[in-house]
Amino acid sequence: MRCLSPALIVAALMSSAACGGNDGTPDSPPIMPDADLGGPVVVDVTASQPPLMLSSYRLFRWDPDVGFAFNDRVVPYDLNTALFSDYALKQRAIYVPPGTSATYDANESFELPVGSVLVKNFYFPLDFRSPDKFPKLIETRLMVRYPDGWHPLPYTWDAFQKDAVFNPSGEVRPISFIDAAGAMQTSTYLIPQRNQCEACHVKQTNTSQMTMTLVGVKARHLNRIYDYGGSTGKKNQLDHLTELGMLSGAPASAQITPAYDFRPIEANGVAALPPAEIETAARAYLDINCAHCHNPLAIQGDTTQLFLNHDNTDPGHLGVCKRPGSAGMGTGGFTFDIVPGNPEMSILYFRAHTTMVGSMMPLLGRSLRHERGGELLHAWIAGMPANPCATQ
Amino acid sequence: MKLTQLTSLIFGLGAGLAACGDNGDNSADAPPPTPDATPTFATIDCTKVTTAHCQQIASGDAAALQLAANSISDDTTIILDAGVYKMTNSLTLRNDGVHLIGQGLEQTTIDFGDATAQGNGVDVIGDGFLVQDLTVRDSKKDGIRVEDSVGVVFRRIRATWTTAGSTSNGAYGIYPVKSSNVLVENSRAENASDAGLYVGQCQHVIVRNNVVTGNVAGLEIENTQYADVYGNTAENNTGGIVVFDLPGNLVVGRDIRVHDNMIRNNNHVNFGTPGTTVASIPVGTGTFAMASRRVEITNNTYLNNDTVDIAVISGLAIEPTLASWAIETSKIIGNLDGLNLQPADLTHVMNFRGENIVIAGNTHTGSGTKPDFNDPLHLGLLLRAGSTPAPVDSVVYDAIEEDFDSTNPLLNSNKHHICVAGNTGGTFGSLDLIEQSQTNQVPFFRPAAPFTPYDCTELIGGPVAEVVLP
Repeated sequence: MRCLSPALIVAALMSSAACGGNDGTPDSPPIMPDADLGGPVVVDVTASQPPLMLSSYRLFRWDPDVGFAFNDRVVPYDLNTALFSDYALKQRAIYVPPGTSATYDANESFELPVGSVLVKNFYFPLDFRSPDKFPKLIETRLMVRYPDGWHPLPYTWDAFQKDAVFNPSGEVRPISFIDAAGAMQTSTYLIPQRNQCEACHVKQTNTSQMTMTLVGVKARHLNRIYDYGGSTGKKNQLDHLTELGMLSGAPASAQITPAYDFRPIEANGVAALPPAEIETAARAYLDINCAHCHNPLAIQGDTTQLFLNHDNTDPGHLGVCKRPGSAGMGTGGFTFDIVPGNPEMSILYFRAHTTMVGSMMPLLGRSLRHERGGELLHAWIAGMPANPCATQ
Repeated sequence: MKLTQLTSLIFGLGAGLAACGDNGDNSADAPPPTPDATPTFATIDCTKVTTAHCQQIASGDAAALQLAANSISDDTTIILDAGVYKMTNSLTLRNDGVHLIGQGLEQTTIDFGDATAQGNGVDVIGDGFLVQDLTVRDSKKDGIRVEDSVGVVFRRIRATWTTAGSTSNGAYGIYPVKSSNVLVENSRAENASDAGLYVGQCQHVIVRNNVVTGNVAGLEIENTQYADVYGNTAENNTGGIVVFDLPGNLVVGRDIRVHDNMIRNNNHVNFGTPGTTVASIPVGTGTFAMASRRVEITNNTYLNNDTVDIAVISGLAIEPTLASWAIETSKIIGNLDGLNLQPADLTHVMNFRGENIVIAGNTHTGSGTKPDFNDPLHLGLLLRAGSTPAPVDSVVYDAIEEDFDSTNPLLNSNKHHICVAGNTGGTFGSLDLIEQSQTNQVPFFRPAAPFTPYDCTELIGGPVAEVVLP
């Protein structure tokens, strides 16, 4: 079992302006020095039912006073730009069975062997100005690689923070916290029901075949420094996984273009960003927040023909002067997805910014406004060469 | 005896009976009648299903329903006992072969009024889906959305919102989209802020014997191929039954039959969200076919639709930018044989034209007398201004891309093969929409039957075949 020394949030926040800052989104949460989990990770891909209790997997230990401690071959990671989930803090980790490795892909998700697990913990502090104090773990979502593909397995933590129970029904739960600016916020937080996992994690391999897929485990999202603490210290995540033998086929991280790092925007806004960087940042934001549905291989993306994946180069499919299909009240009264130069008239900005139930995007997992995300999209559309779109 | 008194006689307690007998005049203060919880037909249980698995959910047990939805295997029937299931989140179904069956649309209700999470009501992706004998109420978005599925049946169900005419109602009630082999029958769709019964991007569809009322668009067939729409009643919507293609969509609509429907009193105020396609529908529209091809509108009864009974419109009327209609030929879904779509360039075609349409044998009574003059595209105003003497003709054609003259049939073209000869129960008028919208000065062309040059009677390529589902 690997021992990790503490890496306190405070240290991460203080470390550098470019990597963290006082944005309430730590690079690495506290990691417990010695995780005694009673043995190696257990993943039984032949069982007909998933384990009832999360602790059965022996993936990690959670102690609200200390933080997360991960078992051997369970490696925490972070993304350059992450999906917004009502400001929930997320601790991700990847497990690959001994003797196997993930297969690198330059653009798409890595291929992971049967028995692999992706772990995504969602937690809230009471006060985002001191995010390491009184964190409460809400849910842990696992993606487990079975022989027939990925299975999404949601677990909900008990009130005592001792263990999490398999909960396919999900839950809608009000969660209150003080945000980074000191204001009280209450999220109508969605713990998705199992079938809702597919909303973000399914793609079509052809017109009739759908398959569960991963979103974040891609080279551009993972190409960043992570503070593993202890003797490992700060390392590039891709390089580290390669060194551990958990990732094969990856070039040196220096050769991979990373997705935009959202942390400086979360901390300081977009005012100081040059226009070219706003474009890059906005496309990265849309890619991770929207493109899991809005891409040509996803069901809704196909239905709407709005493609927000980072490598879509077609302005019409990106939404420029595009009329929505069946958006209903999602239009907010506007006619085009993007009216260049005019974010206030753009459906895309409206839907990403509004908190009106029935109009919000993304469809699932957001009940609060992401101020910095909205600010970025506003600046992006405002910076486009003006075009009123309408000819009538 | 008043109905309310009768109700309290039947359902009330002894005290209620006494009160009723004491004072027959205070019936206005009587509590609303208690819904009869007893089904009016044979109830269903797990001994009577055709699937391999079955789960029966006790009355009102929303948690059990949610758990079942997320735990079942393929080929499972979920039986809902009579009662109201108050959901806090969407009911999401992702297995193949799921049957969701209640005890009748007056008996079993899945209610999303208290849902705090955004989402559709019943949200389905899965082949072989059937929903039957229940009501879905007050969804945040769509009532029952079934997407990307093969073999879909909606039978004796209702999708509704409690508050009539509210823009904050969900968009679509019954909503199969991007699916094939779809049957919607004996169902009701009410009070949707967009379309009550919406069939979008589907292939091989039968929509029969349904009632759509209180919606902006009652029954909508959009970007769909091979649809039979008959025996339905569309009443008190802004627009009754509409058929159209939207720009940029990869399914080019074709082969739609709208026949033997009742389309009346579709004069509901338009409460669609501004910016949506349906927000442009003039109040009092019976049917329009826009950017559609190979459409038959026959033997329907049109009654008291204040603006117009039937309008045939080019897609350019709502989206004049040609480039918006260009779709990549290699990516188009479905059958293009014989459609002869207009090329945009070597690799794209355009589907904005309304063409190859037969309108015949409909009856027209009392319509076109009070055209809307507030619709955002001013279509109602154009019809009003051009229809002298009133009323607006039963069938109106916008003549975009056609040669137009107000009086001489020889100077009017029918390039788009719009056939009205068999519709002798109504009148016909065409307008030069482009000219009209700029000057309002050009009178309509209003020929007498057989409405030469629109006097053809058959579709190019032969009649639309009856849809037969497997």
